[in-house]
Amino acid sequence: MKRRDFMKQAGCAAMGSTTLLSSLTNLKAFNGVLGKSSISSPNPTDYKALVCVLLAGGLDSYNLLVPTGNNIGGDNGYNDYISVRTDLAIPRDDLLALSNPNEQPLCNGFGGLSCEYGSFGVHPSVTGIRDMFNDGNLAFMSNIGTLVEPIANFTEYNSKKRPLGLYSHADQIMQWQTSVPQSRNALGVGGRFADLLHAANSYEQISMNISLSGKNVFQRGKDFAEYSIGNNINANNVGFESLPSYWSNTGLLTQLRNAAVDSLVSQNYANLLQNTYSATAKQSIGSFEIFKEALKRVPSFNTVFPTTDLGNDLSAISKVIGVRNELGAKRQIFFVTIGGWDMHDNLLDGLNGRLPQVSQALKAFYDSTVELGIADKVTTFTISDFARTITSNGEGSDHAWGGNSMVMGGAVKGGKIYGSYPRMSVDNYDRNVSNRGHYIPALSTDELYAELALWYGVSPYDLCYVLPNLGNFYSYAPNNYPVGFIDFAGTTVSSDNKPQGCTTY
Amino acid sequence: MQKNFLLIVITTLGQLISYNKAFAQEQTTIGMGNYSGVTVTASSGSPMGIRTLQQNGYLPNQSAASRFLSQATFGADSAEIKKVTEQGVEKWLDDQLNLPNTFSLKDYVQSIHQAKVDSLNRSSPGNLTLLTSGSSGWYFDVAWFQGSVTAADLLRWRVAFALSETFVVSRISSFGNNPYALASYYDVLMRNAFGNYRTLIDSVTYHPSMAVYLTYMNNHATNVAGKIFPDENYAREIMQLFSVGLYELNNNGTTKTDASGELIPTYGNDDIADLAKVFTGLSWGDSQYLGDRSEDIWSYTKRLKFFPIDSSDAIKRPWKQNPTIVNGHEYGAKTFLGSTIPARPIEQGEQDIQDALDILSNHPNVAPFISRRLIQRLVTSNPSPEYVNRIATIFNNNGSGVRGDLKAVVKAILLDTDARSCECDEKYFTGMLREPFVRYMNLVRGLDLEATGGVFRNRMNEVYNQTEQRPLNSPSVFNFFLPDYIPDGKLKEAEKYGPEFQLLNSQTLTGYLNALNEWLIDNDPVDYSGYFSGEKNKPAERPGFDLTKYYYLTKDSRLTELIDKFNLVLAHGRLSEKAVSNIKSVVLQMPYVETNGLPRATEANRRVQMVLFLIMASPDYLINR
Repeated sequence: MKRRDFMKQAGCAAMGSTTLLSSLTNLKAFNGVLGKSSISSPNPTDYKALVCVLLAGGLDSYNLLVPTGNNIGGDNGYNDYISVRTDLAIPRDDLLALSNPNEQPLCNGFGGLSCEYGSFGVHPSVTGIRDMFNDGNLAFMSNIGTLVEPIANFTEYNSKKRPLGLYSHADQIMQWQTSVPQSRNALGVGGRFADLLHAANSYEQISMNISLSGKNVFQRGKDFAEYSIGNNINANNVGFESLPSYWSNTGLLTQLRNAAVDSLVSQNYANLLQNTYSATAKQSIGSFEIFKEALKRVPSFNTVFPTTDLGNDLSAISKVIGVRNELGAKRQIFFVTIGGWDMHDNLLDGLNGRLPQVSQALKAFYDSTVELGIADKVTTFTISDFARTITSNGEGSDHAWGGNSMVMGGAVKGGKIYGSYPRMSVDNYDRNVSNRGHYIPALSTDELYAELALWYGVSPYDLCYVLPNLGNFYSYAPNNYPVGFIDFAGTTVSSDNKPQGCTTY
Repeated sequence: MQKNFLLIVITTLGQLISYNKAFAQEQTTIGMGNYSGVTVTASSGSPMGIRTLQQNGYLPNQSAASRFLSQATFGADSAEIKKVTEQGVEKWLDDQLNLPNTFSLKDYVQSIHQAKVDSLNRSSPGNLTLLTSGSSGWYFDVAWFQGSVTAADLLRWRVAFALSETFVVSRISSFGNNPYALASYYDVLMRNAFGNYRTLIDSVTYHPSMAVYLTYMNNHATNVAGKIFPDENYAREIMQLFSVGLYELNNNGTTKTDASGELIPTYGNDDIADLAKVFTGLSWGDSQYLGDRSEDIWSYTKRLKFFPIDSSDAIKRPWKQNPTIVNGHEYGAKTFLGSTIPARPIEQGEQDIQDALDILSNHPNVAPFISRRLIQRLVTSNPSPEYVNRIATIFNNNGSGVRGDLKAVVKAILLDTDARSCECDEKYFTGMLREPFVRYMNLVRGLDLEATGGVFRNRMNEVYNQTEQRPLNSPSVFNFFLPDYIPDGKLKEAEKYGPEFQLLNSQTLTGYLNALNEWLIDNDPVDYSGYFSGEKNKPAERPGFDLTKYYYLTKDSRLTELIDKFNLVLAHGRLSEKAVSNIKSVVLQMPYVETNGLPRATEANRRVQMVLFLIMASPDYLINR
């Protein structure tokens, strides 16, 4: 039988009306049963984690990664930049220079498109990002965005299929998480990873997908949803608070109360809303015991995380990764959001205030994975609704499309800008579609995710389950990778090159 | 068959089968078969017979009354249930719709601020004033709670909250610490809840909190040489979120499709660019020039001022011989949504804004767009297209030729059969998941929370920390959840919406139950706050639930009655037998002591608390249907 069918059955049979009191005994029954059937995405034996950081609101990423060419060797990047960005432009001297650790060119272009410029810098406050780039552990994806199919220029912009609700927050945030821009009902990329690979983990009750930011589309799969936690990592914070210790029989009454709560959500409800609520409750309740036990073993870290929101969230992720063995996890996906990027106003101050938080938190997180000895097993990437208009609205920018994102980790061939950095101009540039400066992406989210998928252990056979539109951009062939930012040396990727079983939308 | 029909009015669940909705001009058939055009008459000449068969003659039973109150207010209590059963739903509604808005959040905020200043001046004599002594964002929460719990216009409070979830302004912004900014904006929603949509959209547009939130404060005409363009934020969001939405709609809320079956966008980037030009030239009510900063915290309470011309250079640098004077408002014709605002002399440019608001509010999408959202906030997540259509029709014309009459719309929503009739067990997707904040208010109202001296001082922190919801605290202009959100599971399979589920995850689910622990088990329902450091704490005045009047029902033999009582008030009777039995079995195992034939307070109190906790944790309560 196909693994997927097997998993479905196991999922249904398992949880029934398990109460907290008996969840542990059920666990033991599980360990024996799970695991060894014939599968297309082989059960991984090593540990890998993906960390998705959503910069919500639309990061102005052309002020994160900036061309610095000052008419040296024909590279006039900075002058183009300052001319079009006017009062949004960062002074050239303030930018932090980027360099490749092996002295290779920073940017090679992609898919027949060249990189418009040769030398680049980053926003003055992101020293951590600069360091990781120059050390070869962080890469940029440039002019990346949502696409249904490739679009080459303004003519095609009007004739080809475009993402729904282009320039709208709600739609674009969703599409970065689903990579299916023609639909509003698609599952999340992380969710689809979980549908394929969750059998790698020993405990059904603990979702492969863990969120620090509540409900999200990215981690929504067909059969599995995310488990949300707060960043206050403490075994005592897991599950429902007990009744006060001064109640007589408090221990027993707490158990009875919890059992009643469990029982109330275990009934069969005909009403779909009640049914949905109960399913969520049951899933959460089912996770408590294991999670609680695991959190008692969180290791201490030498790495110091900044105590910002993102710092606290990423620190929590490190701790959870630290107890991956206690959680029986071989594959995990984490999701965290940091908002406040919708800078229609006060953009320079806004970025000065907010980017340091991202840079410091990401750097600390990377360092913590080094400390855990698994830096090349954890890949972190940023996503955002869209980039912002190249032109200003008077100290701010408005919604646009293709922009720059980051991928970081020991397995990343860093120190490079992948994709195609666009020309800083609203005149005479094929990929620009308005007088404000909205760029058609040169690189699609599909290609980014496909490369991450192959690294993560999804077989080429299953690629188009994860990414239904992928066929518009890429066909798998051995040693032909979608973008090239992952170092695959040593990773087993199947030589089966017949993608099948695509979902269509 | 045609002549023999059986008229059944089922009272136990408040289920209505026969009615003739006078205000919506529609006939519905009853009984066996489905024959149209059946006229109902009473055998006697008395008008009461007809009225009994019609909506306005029917007196609801207690469960129906409680259910009605769960839609029309922040929650039922015994007194209000009694009122509705005696007066009837329509009279109650009419009375409520005619109650004036008497609570000003801004005034209350100022009174807290003043109290603080006065106290500090008394304790260490100084010359502190409202200007020199700071205020805090949480004054807004204290004011909000005070008003919602003491004001008589319960319906208005509920509707204003619903409006705050569509015309979103949030304290997660640069003015989050300014309680005047928050209170003044909320007052706009309160004042306009039973007014006209056109007035509402004008007041919202001209409110400084909205101008700052959606970044059009001091928005400027295009500076061509400088390649700087008008900010597009408000142009986009006023269309997407406050009026027409992304796609063309039929009057019943369903989306239109073109010849190839694709959805039809209502606007494109060109519309946005032109509408952005309209919202230029607006600045603070106390500004001297376009581009001026706000004067003080009360700048957030003054209607925006329009500057056709930008004379900032002349005013800021009066020594200049030839200061740069440019248009502040964008000159020229503006076209969007298929209409064109004509070019006019720049001094009359403010009329552009009125023209734009006319164009927006007259778009046929507005009726279904707003109607559906209001229905979702008050009654059900999945209104039928027919329901939306009936309400949208009233929005388009309230019966007296007026468009956008929110009073008529609210009344129609609540009196509609789809709201009043409880087809709970027939359609599997009726109802809505109660919003976490509304659940908190259900508890507060249902248990008649009181405060000594009538002052609550509730900062409402716990509910926000545990459930991530509180008035004017949305994470973005998209509210706490989207109207089109579909959670995983059975709702997704059925393609039905559940907006509130977007807030539901393992964390907030746990958080809610832990919050219940604090509100009930710890009897700490209010985040009681001092107004300034050093203020004398009077613990006796701290509001809490007084459950003594229920002690007599805590003995084993009367537990079912105890559960039923709260079942009626909180869940309008929807707890299933199984749920009741579950709850009862837990409570039976809790200690119970009698002294002199009366229940001892400690044990009795805990029994009541446990009943409340478990009811509030039941899906039968959580989903309001």
